[in-house]
Amino acid sequence: MINWSMGQVVEVARVGAEIYSVWISERKISRKVKPGQFIGVKVPERDDLLLRRPFSVADVKGGKMRIVFRVVGAGTAKLAHSKKGDRWDIIGPLGKPAPLVQNKSVVVCGGGVGAAPLFYLTRVLKEKNRVVAVLGARRAAELVMVSEFRQLGVKVYLTTEDGSKGIRGLVTEALEPVIKVMEKPVVYACGPEGMLKALCPLSRKAKVWAFFEERMGCGTGVCYGCALPKKDGGYLRLCQDGPVVSLDEVVL
Amino acid sequence: MTLEVVIRDVKFPNPVLAASGTFGFGWEFLAVANRLGGVVTKGLTIAPRAGNPPPRIVETASGVVNSVGLENPGVEVFKREILPRLQRVKCPVIVNLAAGKEEEFCELTETLEQTPVAGLELNLSCPNVKEGGVVFGQDALQVEKITRAVRKRTGKLLIVKLTANFVDPADTAKAAEAAGADAVSLINTLFALVLDQEGKPLLGGRTGGLSGPAIKPFALFCVERVARAVKIPVIGMGGIKTGQDAFEFICAGAHLIQVGTANLVKPDGALEVVKELRRMARTRGWQSWDDIRGKAGEGRFS
Ligand SMILES: Cc1cc2nc3c(=O)[nH]c(=O)nc-3n(C[C@H](O)[C@H](O)[C@H](O)COP(=O)(O)OP(=O)(O)OC[C@H]3O[C@@H](n4cnc5c(N)ncnc54)[C@H](O)[C@@H]3O)c2cc1C
Ligand SMILES: Cc1cc2nc3c(=O)[nH]c(=O)nc-3n(C[C@H](O)[C@H](O)[C@H](O)COP(=O)(O)O)c2cc1C
Ligand code: FES
Repeated sequence: MINWSMGQVVEVARVGAEIYSVWISERKISRKVKPGQFIGVKVPERDDLLLRRPFSVADVKGGKMRIVFRVVGAGTAKLAHSKKGDRWDIIGPLGKPAPLVQNKSVVVCGGGVGAAPLFYLTRVLKEKNRVVAVLGARRAAELVMVSEFRQLGVKVYLTTEDGSKGIRGLVTEALEPVIKVMEKPVVYACGPEGMLKALCPLSRKAKVWAFFEERMGCGTGVCYGCALPKKDGGYLRLCQDGPVVSLDEVVL
Repeated sequence: MTLEVVIRDVKFPNPVLAASGTFGFGWEFLAVANRLGGVVTKGLTIAPRAGNPPPRIVETASGVVNSVGLENPGVEVFKREILPRLQRVKCPVIVNLAAGKEEEFCELTETLEQTPVAGLELNLSCPNVKEGGVVFGQDALQVEKITRAVRKRTGKLLIVKLTANFVDPADTAKAAEAAGADAVSLINTLFALVLDQEGKPLLGGRTGGLSGPAIKPFALFCVERVARAVKIPVIGMGGIKTGQDAFEFICAGAHLIQVGTANLVKPDGALEVVKELRRMARTRGWQSWDDIRGKAGEGRFS
């Protein structure tokens, strides 16, 4: 069941270059939302910004949920200026929960702000699996939630394209040696489309679950706006069949 | 007052319907559907359609441009899998039909004639399919021909959905009326092109259709114009989001209204319109819809 209700902003923090973290207090959705699922946020006081902005849930804690997002346009800019006490109109949980494995060697692989949704997932997966994290970004200021990942007790490999932190290079390059030494690894990946594309060859060797983004109308399955091409023809409806999809199922 | 509106033999408990393409097939949010005046399903074709490549939907200033391209499972799957679910919807269900040929409209109509759906809405106005679609709706002769052919094959409530793209909808509405339509509905989305930062079309379908608050004043203009041109009931839509919006369409002459894009923002978007209209009816002391319907020309009143 999808809920729609008002949440209250309890904390806004700048956590990187143009990257913000917001904790929202809202009981119904935050109790139900599972790793991989997302919420739809109506940008307050901006009736001209019609549609909800979809954001993956980065963590939940006692009737609160957290989103971490990058400012890319008018909506995210407005949301980043929120203050403690502001009320947000949100709907959720949207999408399917990410499939959870057990007794596996798991690598979570995040590109930029894509690390955020993997955090909640990692917290849950780590109870029943061995988990390591490979997190990359263009530069150090765009790496998010690194200390939180470390606090979970998972091993974290860092990469940046400009070498300002961790290994210099792409997150996908750092992933390969990590996976090579693992037996039947399972990868959960979240990041820009280019990163997911670079992971495609890997999906022949390992199971790769990827978090996808597509422009959405409703987020609830009624408008058929969020199409993702399937390998065997036709389209997935990302807000129903995803957003976490097996990488070998779709065409990138 | 009672909010009920009756057209032909169909009783709509209130004048607010969910518009085609914005409320799934009608059963997805049952608790909402059951309190609406009616629901219009996603456009249905004979064969399954995969729809257009992504992106299919993009926000513009106070509006939305879509190029979904009529993705739907086809009429057989509709009958087998969707229709049983629609039995649980308490309000009248109108099936929106799309086709590239007159014969296909006829075939769809015949296939649905023995099903319990309350009525049919012929989409002669979809901008997102190459064959048929809006082309039919731009030609009054085609509108008349197709409507007449479908009319012969159905005793159900027959609504013809008109376009306002490059045609005077008063002409096509008269054609639909002459051919036996029970009502006309308008407007469908307006032709739209969205370019990205490099000047390339952003939508996978290249062009799309504009909806939402951005089109409301034009939609209202069209609805008033058509309501003055025909005697059959007019179903108005285009950017309706509030009770006040719906009230304005009724003042312009609409018997029923449909809520589209507002359903994408909130699953109960159409229900909010019902609630606000009901409150307005009470506080303003209307006795029946006749108190306000089509009275936009008569100066100030409340
Ligand atoms: C399932 C899902 C989960 C997401 N989770 C996150 C997250 O955790 N953190 C984060 O930073 N971003 C996330 N995004 C992307 C985020 O939704 C967009 O960056 C945001 O909607 C942009 O809004 P805007 O008004 O600032 O940008 P504008 O470009 O002004 O937005 C205009 C329209 O385009 C849509 N849009 C723009 N970019 C995207 C995009 N990449 N994906 C989907 N729609 C887009 C907007 O929703 C809006 O309707 C997610 C997207 C999806 C689909
Ligand atoms: C995503 C989307 C899909 C639509 N699909 C259909 C459709 O299949 N058939 C149809 O007749 N109209 C379709 N429409 C048009 C709406 O039913 C309605 O006529 C139009 O959007 C104007 O109303 P609005 O401004 O309230 O959305 C669609 C509109 C949207 C936004
Ligand atoms: S966004 Fe509307 S169906 Fe997925």
